[in-house]
Amino acid sequence: MSLKNKYAIVGVGYTPQGVIPGRTTLGFHLEACAAAIADAGLRREDVDGLICYRGFPPSEGETEVTPYLVAQHLGLSPVFLAQDAN
Amino acid sequence: MTKRKPPPKINADTKAFWDGCRERELRFQKCEDCGHLRHPPAFLCPHCLSSRTVMVKASGRGRVYSYAVYHVAFDPAFQEDLPYIVALVDLEEGPRIVSNLVGCDPGAAACGMAVEVAWDDGEEGLCLPKFRPAGA
Amino acid sequence: MHAVGVLEAGLCNYVLLSYGHCGRSGDSMMRMLAGLNAEDAVFGHFGATGGYALAARRAMHEFRTGPETWKRIAVGQRKWANLNPRAMMCHRPMTDEDYDRSPWVVEPFRLADNCLLTDGGRACIITTRERARDLRHPPVVIMGLGMCNPAADPAPASHLAGPTGARRAGEMALRMAGIARDDIDACEIYDCFTYTVEITLQDYGFFGPGEGLDWLQGGTIEPGGSLPVNTSGGLLSEAYFMGLTPLTEGVMQLMGRCGERQLGPKTGNKTPEIIMCSDNGGILQTHSCYILTKG
Repeated sequence: MSLKNKYAIVGVGYTPQGVIPGRTTLGFHLEACAAAIADAGLRREDVDGLICYRGFPPSEGETEVTPYLVAQHLGLSPVFLAQDAN
Repeated sequence: MTKRKPPPKINADTKAFWDGCRERELRFQKCEDCGHLRHPPAFLCPHCLSSRTVMVKASGRGRVYSYAVYHVAFDPAFQEDLPYIVALVDLEEGPRIVSNLVGCDPGAAACGMAVEVAWDDGEEGLCLPKFRPAGA
Repeated sequence: MHAVGVLEAGLCNYVLLSYGHCGRSGDSMMRMLAGLNAEDAVFGHFGATGGYALAARRAMHEFRTGPETWKRIAVGQRKWANLNPRAMMCHRPMTDEDYDRSPWVVEPFRLADNCLLTDGGRACIITTRERARDLRHPPVVIMGLGMCNPAADPAPASHLAGPTGARRAGEMALRMAGIARDDIDACEIYDCFTYTVEITLQDYGFFGPGEGLDWLQGGTIEPGGSLPVNTSGGLLSEAYFMGLTPLTEGVMQLMGRCGERQLGPKTGNKTPEIIMCSDNGGILQTHSCYILTKG
């Protein structure tokens, strides 16, 4: 059974981008996620899977951003949670 | 005050290679079952998955497969070396190794050029296998 | 790709893909670059720039390519960024002379061949086609998918000058979509370096090895060109959000939400029905291809 045309992308979340000092990697994840949920016209509770792209080492003063941390701060307990979306 | 360069990662897989370098010998893993020579070192032969391995000595002669000329020091310890050449060298025995091309103007470097090992005394008795144009 | 897997398995209904990074203001990118090729750091070999530079140099040896080819990509994508108010390089046009004057980073790459470092984030949501019909925007469906991971580090790799994973991944995606390459209206290609765009389009079959320079002449990938590529400016000129920069741009173009850079009458291009997107990891070590269409 082909996957052709079975799945769709329905919302895109943007954040301010460029040179934005005074923010954290986690904060950008959360803002992008919230924006994507709103853009799709979904409720937060609808989201039952979260995949974070593979990350980079934390900057000075930051902790590593894990999918757990992103889910926690979005108030989600998703069925599926993973890192690396490629 | 120059920063120290990063040391090689010496572990159970790579120790025999770096031990050879201390004695100015390029040693590679050879699969005892299929004869494949491999580098970087690892527990299994990627051709036949055998773990029976012996170390063999290489001649130190090879050809440049590709090279890149660094004009930016991603680690400040390399600032004084700029510009320097990182090269992939195909050794005549088969394995390909990441190293530096030394004694060669960046403009004169070329894929396919013949090179030979040029040992560079590192810190703590460690020798780094670098390469220079053959016969230079 | 993983998101489609969990949807197909019936585990989830709506999967959120997320990326965020203080890539510009934080120091983590330098930490990544210093750590990526830790085995080779003893020789002063670091990260993606050095690895892709080795690949690009080998390509120059094997077929006709080099800065003249990559200039067409850097300058072409910048024209798209100049139409995109979000792009970091929106107000910074690039001429051929600007490219030629750009400083070397790791030769054969100049700064203009390198992607940006960006503070920011990007996310998108994937669901089933049926659920998508009830939501706010016209859905964009995944018509074809392909993946291929040559995996090997640059040192032992045989794929530096192609064929990379893009060859098989592209063939798989086209086969699933049931279309020909000529049916594709635009591409959003993962462009960590200019050479990555060339080798990806070449391995997808848009031109033969070394034919890129001729193919790119006359603004092929630019506004008004016959195959627009990286219409947001891409990682080179919009912003670095890994594979989400190309993927989300493909989605927004098909939704018709791209403002001044919207493919169609405004840009002198065909209004797109089908867009091919790519994502890479490592030094050409992983490759994913996605063909999107209007749902």
